[in-house]
Amino acid sequence: MQKWRALSLIAVAVLLGCACALASEVKVIANSSVKVDTISAAELKKVFLEQRISLSDGTHVEPVLEKDGPVHEAFLQQCLGGTDDDLQNYYRALVFSGRGSMPKQLDSDAEVVAYVARTRGAIGYVAAETSTEGVKLLAIGDSKSEGGRKLIQRVEPTYPETLRRLGIGGIVRLHVTISAKGNVENVELLGGNPILGESAIAAVKQWVYSAGRSQTVVEVSIPFDSKH
Amino acid sequence: MYRSAKVVAVALLWFGQGLLNAQEFKLLGRTVQVHGFASQGFVYTNDNNWLTMDTSDGSGAFTDFGLNLSAPITDRLRVGAQVYDRNLGQLGQYHPSLDWAVADYRFRNWLGFRGGKVKTRLGLYNDTQDQDFLRVFALLPQSVYPTDLRDATIAHVGGDIYGNVSLGHSIGDLFYTAYVGHRSDSIYSGIAYLLTEYGIVGSSYRGLQYGGDLRWNTPAKGLLIGASRLNEDLTDHATIQNPFNPGGGSIPFVAVSKADWLNQFYGEYVVRKLRIDAEYRRNLHDEIINGALLHSIIDARGWYVSGAYRVRKRLEAGSYYSRYSITSVAGGPLAPLFGVNQTDTGLPANHIYDKVITGRVDLNRFWNVKVEGHFMDGYGTTTYPDGFYPQVNPRGFKPNTRALVLKTAVYF
Repeated sequence: MQKWRALSLIAVAVLLGCACALASEVKVIANSSVKVDTISAAELKKVFLEQRISLSDGTHVEPVLEKDGPVHEAFLQQCLGGTDDDLQNYYRALVFSGRGSMPKQLDSDAEVVAYVARTRGAIGYVAAETSTEGVKLLAIGDSKSEGGRKLIQRVEPTYPETLRRLGIGGIVRLHVTISAKGNVENVELLGGNPILGESAIAAVKQWVYSAGRSQTVVEVSIPFDSKH
Repeated sequence: MYRSAKVVAVALLWFGQGLLNAQEFKLLGRTVQVHGFASQGFVYTNDNNWLTMDTSDGSGAFTDFGLNLSAPITDRLRVGAQVYDRNLGQLGQYHPSLDWAVADYRFRNWLGFRGGKVKTRLGLYNDTQDQDFLRVFALLPQSVYPTDLRDATIAHVGGDIYGNVSLGHSIGDLFYTAYVGHRSDSIYSGIAYLLTEYGIVGSSYRGLQYGGDLRWNTPAKGLLIGASRLNEDLTDHATIQNPFNPGGGSIPFVAVSKADWLNQFYGEYVVRKLRIDAEYRRNLHDEIINGALLHSIIDARGWYVSGAYRVRKRLEAGSYYSRYSITSVAGGPLAPLFGVNQTDTGLPANHIYDKVITGRVDLNRFWNVKVEGHFMDGYGTTTYPDGFYPQVNPRGFKPNTRALVLKTAVYF
């Protein structure tokens, strides 16, 4: 019975993996010089709008985009908001007023990975199934109510060996409720592979944040990369 | 007309080549980016000639183009420059200018320094007012962004400090700019052209400019509000036909600022395919001319509300209502030469109310075409210009003007 349950879960996981690829779920990648493992959605947006040239730890950063395609559209929708026309006009306004430059825009996931791997501070995005050898994955943590709840203790999730062997990975998105004292009170799976989700939930429940004035709900994304 | 068409054809061909080639190259190990644009307009008005063009017969003397190069020197230092050229009726006349040339050093996210010739941050669109391809409208609301007077506010030679500060998720972000520099108008600008009506030749306002801009990206998604301030201490050295001895040659004309400032307040709201902007500007010029011979106080106020909606991926529609009024008070022995006091903004000579509707089609990512209709009440031509000039309207003004503007632009 347990065998059938495991097999059916793997089948669901494979199907979900395909669905993620079709839905162009993206993962955020960075050059190895970028020290942080997690970046908030708000900070990521500021990096891509050239409002941030360094992260809170002082690391220099530089955005890298794809020219078009479903991954680019998904990233625009999920992380930046607005259309590609809006974004291009935003960059052109910087370029023609002398306030900034046009970020690197490349044709494919492979080009983005290669550029990010060799460019200090580069941050880009690629489809979830893309091989990310030579770059690091950045998890997205987004505080939706009260920003600035610093993660003090992080426990890495276990990558189920069966899924790793099958090359099944992707990003798990979680809704995390943090108490005023900083303990994780509740974790809900928002998206991603359910088996990886179970592993991520178990790990995140052990996380400890800095104390705040009230309960905080944050969205956390955890990447699982079968190549690493 | 033919000259401008030739210039645009050459520019389009050149840009066409640019599109085929890479827009960046390596120099001394640095990546140099190259960007440019060119636009050509055509304006037809039913009555008054507008923007120094012979628009009542239809005019294509509405051309501009620019080219810039920029490169990062280090992670924090970037340099670049842009050349800009335009022909707008009697203005510009294809005399190229250095639009901006900056060295930009960013110490932190919250502190950067820009030095050189720097575009002035003023309201939503001052520093990008020449790049109409960034917006749906062919002409920005002239009550706040008079294109004939672009030289007055477009850039300063000096320095800016700027940065952005995150106030937390529930408060939003602040963006600030503070600057000080030197303004120097082209002799092909609108003010210089207007002054030729009074026999004043070689006018070029120049002097100190300083001010700041503060904008708040509010926690309400898509809502930005801000305020700008510009102070000036200007001098204009020109010559004028001796008003006390006609035929007796020219005498110096020296105008000095007593108080010269501009306030601007603005808001922008963007939600999905809809953009709504609103801005208010007040510009006061209090100046003394040739000692005590003339004291002139000009108070220009303008505001607009605009909306733009992307109907299809390549089709956008927009509309705005723009309202401009001006009062002028003069004293001293020379005052009669410049007209009596004009304080009734209800008169067509002292206001312009403009209703505008626009459609924009993006033919591809680098080329668009616009059609725009203007329905103007008043011509607002006192001692300070805003689109309508007596020299190109020798038979006087009609109270209302309708204008059709066609414009196309390429950019990369």
